[in-house]
Amino acid sequence: MKNIKISYLLIALVSLAACEDPIDLDLDSGRSQLVVDGFLTNENTIQTIRLTKSADYFANVPTPDENNAQVRVVGPAGVIYNFQTDDNGNFKYNPAANGAFDSIGYAYKLELQYNGIDYISTSVLNPVPNIDSMTVSLEEDEPGSEEGYYTQYYARDIAGREDFYWTKAYKNGSPAYPEDPTFLILSVDAAFGGEGADGLPFILPIRAAITNEEEPFEVGDTSSVELFSLNENVYEFLDQVTIQAQDGGLFSTPPANIRSNILDAAGNEQEEVLGVFSLSAVSRSEIEITP
Amino acid sequence: MNKLLTILLGLLFSISLFSQEKYTISGYVKAGESGEELIGATVAVRAISAGVSANVYGFYSLTLPEGTYEVVYSYIGYGEQTKTIELKGNIQLNVELTEKANQLEVVEIDAEGAENNVKSVEMSINKIDSKTIKKIPALLGEADVVKSVLLLPGVSTVGEGSTGFNVRGGGIDQNLVLLDEAPVYNSSHLFGFFSVFNPDAVKNVKLIKGGIAPEYGGRLSSILDVRMKEGNKKKFTGTGGVGVIFSRLSLEGPIVKDKTSFIVAGRRSYADVLMKPFLRSNLKDSKFYFYDLTAKVNHQINKNNRVFLSGYFGRDVFGSGFIFDWGNATATARWNHIFNDKLFMNLTAFYSDYDYAFGIEEDDPRDDFKWESSIVSYSLKPDFSYYINNNNTLKFGGQSIYYNFKPAEASFSSDGESNDISLPEKFALENGLYIQNEQKIGSRLTVLYGARWSFFSNLGKGDKQTFGDTIPGVRRPLESTEPIGKNKIIASYNNLEPRFGLKYDLDEVSSVKASYNRMSQYLHLISNTVASTPIDLWLPTTNNIEPQIADQVAVGYFRNFAKNKYEASAEVYYKDFQNQIDYIDNADIFFNRELAGDLLAGDGRAYGLELFVKKNQGKLGGWVSYTLARTERKVVGINKGDWYPTRFDRAHNLSVVSSYDFNDKWSFSANFVFSSGTPATFPTNRYEIQNIVLPHNVESARNNYRIPTYHRLDVSATLTPRKNVGRKWQGEWVFSIYNVYSRKNPFSIFFQQNADDPNQTEAIRFAVIGNFVPAFSYNFNF
Repeated sequence: MKNIKISYLLIALVSLAACEDPIDLDLDSGRSQLVVDGFLTNENTIQTIRLTKSADYFANVPTPDENNAQVRVVGPAGVIYNFQTDDNGNFKYNPAANGAFDSIGYAYKLELQYNGIDYISTSVLNPVPNIDSMTVSLEEDEPGSEEGYYTQYYARDIAGREDFYWTKAYKNGSPAYPEDPTFLILSVDAAFGGEGADGLPFILPIRAAITNEEEPFEVGDTSSVELFSLNENVYEFLDQVTIQAQDGGLFSTPPANIRSNILDAAGNEQEEVLGVFSLSAVSRSEIEITP
Repeated sequence: MNKLLTILLGLLFSISLFSQEKYTISGYVKAGESGEELIGATVAVRAISAGVSANVYGFYSLTLPEGTYEVVYSYIGYGEQTKTIELKGNIQLNVELTEKANQLEVVEIDAEGAENNVKSVEMSINKIDSKTIKKIPALLGEADVVKSVLLLPGVSTVGEGSTGFNVRGGGIDQNLVLLDEAPVYNSSHLFGFFSVFNPDAVKNVKLIKGGIAPEYGGRLSSILDVRMKEGNKKKFTGTGGVGVIFSRLSLEGPIVKDKTSFIVAGRRSYADVLMKPFLRSNLKDSKFYFYDLTAKVNHQINKNNRVFLSGYFGRDVFGSGFIFDWGNATATARWNHIFNDKLFMNLTAFYSDYDYAFGIEEDDPRDDFKWESSIVSYSLKPDFSYYINNNNTLKFGGQSIYYNFKPAEASFSSDGESNDISLPEKFALENGLYIQNEQKIGSRLTVLYGARWSFFSNLGKGDKQTFGDTIPGVRRPLESTEPIGKNKIIASYNNLEPRFGLKYDLDEVSSVKASYNRMSQYLHLISNTVASTPIDLWLPTTNNIEPQIADQVAVGYFRNFAKNKYEASAEVYYKDFQNQIDYIDNADIFFNRELAGDLLAGDGRAYGLELFVKKNQGKLGGWVSYTLARTERKVVGINKGDWYPTRFDRAHNLSVVSSYDFNDKWSFSANFVFSSGTPATFPTNRYEIQNIVLPHNVESARNNYRIPTYHRLDVSATLTPRKNVGRKWQGEWVFSIYNVYSRKNPFSIFFQQNADDPNQTEAIRFAVIGNFVPAFSYNFNF
């Protein structure tokens, strides 16, 4: 069990007088680096890789776009997919041109050229299980959860391989946890890792995570879920994102830089370009709440 | 012929002078009222400057030439007794001392002769007794053993809420915490807010920070030796108290007067009982309590044999839809045997079980999760003291501990299908043998020298894992796994640990002391969080995790003023650590079969100056302790391989503890603590991925900043009603305020996106206790 939020419950129960408040700090500044936000899918929709530059920590405005780069993806059998910038840092590719990235089991390679230096990253398109069904039930008020309709989705992990998944939950088409963009539902096989989780149905905490306990559904709402397959290094990246972005409290771990999966031209780890490149297969499902 | 006879007679006479018979006085020094042994009581013949201290069981042995002597038995807080002894043969003499009646005249702070500050060869040691512990104002009015230890020089913590403490730059797992010789793995309840020791049952607490004698081993930085009372042998008495968090009761008394006695002491918290009527129906099943219970029986079989049986059991339980509980349980049996007037033995056997369990209690058993983890150990420990003569005390013995680690016995069910995700058990055997001699050379010099040899094996049944090499700081891949059979060796190590101490008297009231020790440690606490959690993992040394080693050198100047009214010391130390465990960035600690691949080993160093002044007598008593120190690490793969400060490095550490007996009704205490902020790692840049703002440190630095300073004032007032005088039932009220001026001492600073404006990032200061906390309690004894 990774982020054990019970620690917060325990401290809340016990600490009569704990408190958190913002303070002013002067931090050193560091040089700006290129950031790659490249989450692609196997679907027939426009694929976007976003390039930005890192800024000083307290810059407090969206980080600047970067448009001066060459971005392309090379598919199985050497097919080249070029991405074009829209001058706002978003490099786009339309599958209508050369087809979607849909060869399950094959590797797709990102080739990036920036400031005259080449970078690569590889992502294998891993399979994703179908979502078998979704359920709805009416739950009463309880500590930590409001009264309302709670949905779950059912899917079974693909047996015989170690799988990594990212589940995205939506309420009426927008993210189900708008107040906390750092809350990511990540899983390994049917659970959070461990030998016994292969081939089982997804465990309850994952299935039920698609409903926000603070704002469960009402009649007329639509609960939808997207299930993405990930490569192990992308799972590690997102896991580190949740740890670093949610840090705090008695049990915080030492802050650490998140390791990027963008490599240098020779295929070795490098520290100049940050971010991640990922290609996922997607399953979707949704359910409407009816009385 | 006459000449020959004269020479012969002369020779005989001179031989008889030199071969004058020596005899031994030995026995026990005890408290008259209760029969409790007085640990470290002094037995001295002042006329010839000879003396010894009673050992931890109150046993002493003094060897002198035939003759008549005035032997003085003393112990601070008790009246002296002088016995005139005509020594013509070995004598067994037990002495009882009477506690000084009028506590108001003499404020007892120390449990051992203040003289020992200067006279004893021991250095880097602090002792506190139960009375002192109860006087120090504490959080929520609960007097606490470990919190009192924090006020001593060289001791610090990361902040409220951390379970352990740091001694001279060592990690929290480097302290051997002993409860009547049995080790305690997690010495606190409730995440470090309270320790597991019930102050009513504690007799004596000794913290050894350096110059550690060969009889101790297994941890690098300190020994916290907590001794519980044995139980009043004369009459039945009880002590207890009712407080905001705990209630406690301790009962002791004789089973057979002067021969057999018992003590039972228990505490339980009751925040949950008090809250029950106010909880909503769905919370009524929630559990939230902690308790501890100590029970001891001791029996004097005959004048040479005594046996002790004791048990400790403590637990913390939390639950509301889930259950989370942890605790220590120990059972100890000890046998004191006096072979002859000079040879004393104690044989201890103990069983210790530290375990924790976590489970989800859903109504529907188709979806549940259970996880248990434990460390069980069995040990046998013989210790011998041989009082060769007054100038030489020899101690030797050993210890053998067998460990069974269960890192995770876990299973879960999902939609009715269940699976086992347990991690394999581990087994180990830790052995130690030691010998030491404390020798007086001339009238000014005493030396303690000896060594401990420790030997550790990690045993099967289990897997021997071998990891590959990679860039330092990156998870190492598992290359091979070799199964090893039951009780066969997976890895073994041994270490010779020399120990040395010396004391040189400059004059009657001052001395210089120096010591060197090498310690090795074979168990490691795996925790990469700021404060250790009860679910942190203890792992044994394996072929992938080498034993930790520390070398410490300390030098000090000790002086008493105004006829032992004040004792003062100044000590400097330097410690060198090897094989300190640190973690790769974003290490995976839980349920990781290949955990060793996420660990990094490096060197450490710590050095400091400790200044200490204590006032022992008078209406106003207390101490001031100041430590200036540094502790750092160097690990390839972290901070680009440069030295960086550890998470618990605090440059300045000041504690002022004071108590004032105003009159027969009121007494007041106050303490003030000040420490430099702990280091933290702060980012330099930010970047965005999927609408999340992430921190980044362009230099990959570790602990490059300091959190603001920590300081706090606590006060308390004790009211002893006048009607107590002459009455069997004695009660007192204690009122306390913790953190009087409500300082929000930051425990950590973390960074996050502002909830209202996600573009804005902010630094948040997290304070565990940000307000003043008042409390009152009622203590009684009868």
